[in-house]
Amino acid sequence: MAIEVRALTKTFTTGRRRTRRTVEAVRGISFSVEPGERLAYIGPNGAGKSTSIKILTGILHPTSGDATVLGIVPWEQRKRLAARIGTLFGQRSLLWAELSSRQSYRMLAAIYGLSRDEERARVGELGELLDAADLMDQPVRTLSLGQRMRCELAAFLLHRPEVLFLDEPTIGLDLLAKQRFRELLVRINEEQGTTVFLTSHDVADIEHVAERAIVINHGTVIHDAPVAAMRRTLLATKLIEVGLDDHAPIEVPALPGVTVVERTDLALRLVVDTTTTSVRTVLDALLTGTTTTDISVVDPPLEQVIAEIYERPAS
Amino acid sequence: MTAAERRAVRVAFAIAARRTLADPGGLVVSGVFYLIVVSALSAVWRVAADANGGALVGYSAAALTWYIATSESVTISLNIRMIGDLGEDIGSGVVAVELLRPASVLWIRVASELGRAAARLVVIGPAGVGVAALTVGRPPSWPAVALAVPAMALALTANVIAQHAFAASAFWLRNATTAWFLYQKLVFVLGGMLIPLEVFPGWLEAVARALPFQAMAYAPARIAAGHAEPLLLVGQMAWIAGLALAARAVFRMGERRLQVVGG
Amino acid sequence: MRALLATARGAALEAAADRRALASQALAMAVNDGVWIVFWVLFFDRAGDLRGWDLDGIILLQAVLTTSGGIALGLVANARRIGTLIVDGGLDPVLALPASPLGLLLLRRIEPVNLGDFAFGVTLFAVAGHPTPSRTLLFGAVVAASATLLTGFLVLTGSLAFFAGRGESGELGFHAMVLLGSYPVDVFAGTAKVLAYTVVPAAFVSTVPARVIMDFDSGQALLLLTAASTVALAAAAVFRAGLRRYTSGAVWTRA
Repeated sequence: MAIEVRALTKTFTTGRRRTRRTVEAVRGISFSVEPGERLAYIGPNGAGKSTSIKILTGILHPTSGDATVLGIVPWEQRKRLAARIGTLFGQRSLLWAELSSRQSYRMLAAIYGLSRDEERARVGELGELLDAADLMDQPVRTLSLGQRMRCELAAFLLHRPEVLFLDEPTIGLDLLAKQRFRELLVRINEEQGTTVFLTSHDVADIEHVAERAIVINHGTVIHDAPVAAMRRTLLATKLIEVGLDDHAPIEVPALPGVTVVERTDLALRLVVDTTTTSVRTVLDALLTGTTTTDISVVDPPLEQVIAEIYERPAS
Repeated sequence: MTAAERRAVRVAFAIAARRTLADPGGLVVSGVFYLIVVSALSAVWRVAADANGGALVGYSAAALTWYIATSESVTISLNIRMIGDLGEDIGSGVVAVELLRPASVLWIRVASELGRAAARLVVIGPAGVGVAALTVGRPPSWPAVALAVPAMALALTANVIAQHAFAASAFWLRNATTAWFLYQKLVFVLGGMLIPLEVFPGWLEAVARALPFQAMAYAPARIAAGHAEPLLLVGQMAWIAGLALAARAVFRMGERRLQVVGG
Repeated sequence: MRALLATARGAALEAAADRRALASQALAMAVNDGVWIVFWVLFFDRAGDLRGWDLDGIILLQAVLTTSGGIALGLVANARRIGTLIVDGGLDPVLALPASPLGLLLLRRIEPVNLGDFAFGVTLFAVAGHPTPSRTLLFGAVVAASATLLTGFLVLTGSLAFFAGRGESGELGFHAMVLLGSYPVDVFAGTAKVLAYTVVPAAFVSTVPARVIMDFDSGQALLLLTAASTVALAAAAVFRAGLRRYTSGAVWTRA
């Protein structure tokens, strides 16, 4: 078991005396992760994602509950764990801004106890893997965001971590850079068997990186399933978008499994649960007795599926 | 300035003052800082006066305490980051954007800083009176202390305007830190904040009196120490006028430079 | 250990990256400190004596203060920023590494401006401090103790942010130390004097070290060493205890 979490809870208290409030950032979370898995930990802002990952990397102490990463309790043996995992937090850099990446690697190698030979070999290897070899000698501050991300990744992977923890790593990157980043993560996982634990609120990260998704909201696990299964849920709903004729009134067919998502004078959007009612039935009902100018039937985006999952109470 | 601009300036002052008064933490920190400085520095001067037969260059130990309490109050009330922030705002282009508005950037900023300082002085002033009274008893002259109050207001005004003129070097230099260090020292020593001007050797005293810095600390401090000399206030007002003209001129030049060089 | 050295090296390289800025900032600070000497020269010109302290004594005091200040603020520059780092989640990067967080944190950053203080202090001693071999040795030793104490004090007051949620205590503590440390403690009366030896131990930063150099007294030297080690150990302990309550800049705890 690479990661094991049981009833993990973290409560924060706000500082002021009179307005003292307790916030349960994480409430009784439990899950386990096998070595080599690629897991996305998703939720809206404030759901408790960052808190969870910080507990697992030993930065925060939980209020109650247990967790082990690679058999080590993170907050009790932080240093021992730190040598075997990699942490990449979206807004915090591992590199020294004024120096070149290579100089930062030298420092990190010393910190992680790599010999000079090991360091040199590893940096070369990563330079090739990440296509960053020619970027490594420039001051980090002069690199573009995408270039810097590649150099950060090398720093992140320098000591051959067994588990990678990434907190919102693709924030601020352009589409191309995001794509490359995701491809690299998958490659690293496949080639080296590294466990990947990624938090994100970008659905594309789930679609392209994760095999499994844990959805959390308000500090608890809402949904924990393979991504493929979530896609199946997707196929069970369809979105029907109808353009209306301004002058004619429209009567929404009162069929089970049909929900009106949006309604204006000129448009109507319905979500159909195809396990209850078939799209054909709904279309037949719409086309007779109403004047429509346009109809389209689409798959709802994964975004919406996730959003819907967010709204559910804890399973 | 048009009537609207004058109103904008008044509003800037009021808002800054109100905001400062609404932050008790900040006020407490300034207050504690002030008390420590005044206690330490006045102790030094008292010891010197006592060792010198009770008075030093005409100031008794008590007078020196009231002097220091006043000179420090008008300096500590000021935002220590004024020049640094202004320099940064000029360098980063924030001021360039402000210049697009139909109001005087300079005077609105001056008014804000004055509002902030005035609010701090409201807390620090009484603290000063308290610490001085507790340490050495009544001031050499209560009417003089009363006269020191407007002098303190004028001192703050002169100081804020001068700092803005100084910080405007950022239109050309890009780094106002050096300007700030220099400025600080000038006020601290030549302005009479740390040391009454009478202590200086003759030639240095003459130089210090001729400079604007004495209007920022020495003037009110001397009055509070028991010398109710109205001419000092006249001098302060004259310097304020001069500094205002200088600040406006430098800002105009800076503005023109921005238009030529870009933000 | 390798980790700490590597970190210190990184900080040094970073500070040296812009040599011109480094030089000008350091120079500005040195000039700043020089003005204080001007103040004291003018002062002693009129006053003559300050409870047994003369210009030479004050010069030693200032030399120790600025040199050790230069170390505490310049070489281990994060010491004074610990409060802010705690509140903003700035400890995360060092906590992610397999080494002692306090050590890494302190050595990570060098502030060029305060290197000017260091240079000034050393030069002042060399030029006006009558640097005989024995005095120079003493100077080195007391500066080390003084810098340790000052750094420890900054870490201690900054670490209160773990418990209080706000980061300003460090700055206030620092200013109080510098202000009180700029004068020989003998100038203060009663409560202020006690304060300067205890709550805000500024006496040990400048006065006691200067005394040890001027007139070596093993009692004073021992007192200095004890004070320095006590504060340093307390600082490390409080920091370690505080880490358990670290909130990593979590939004909810902002006041």
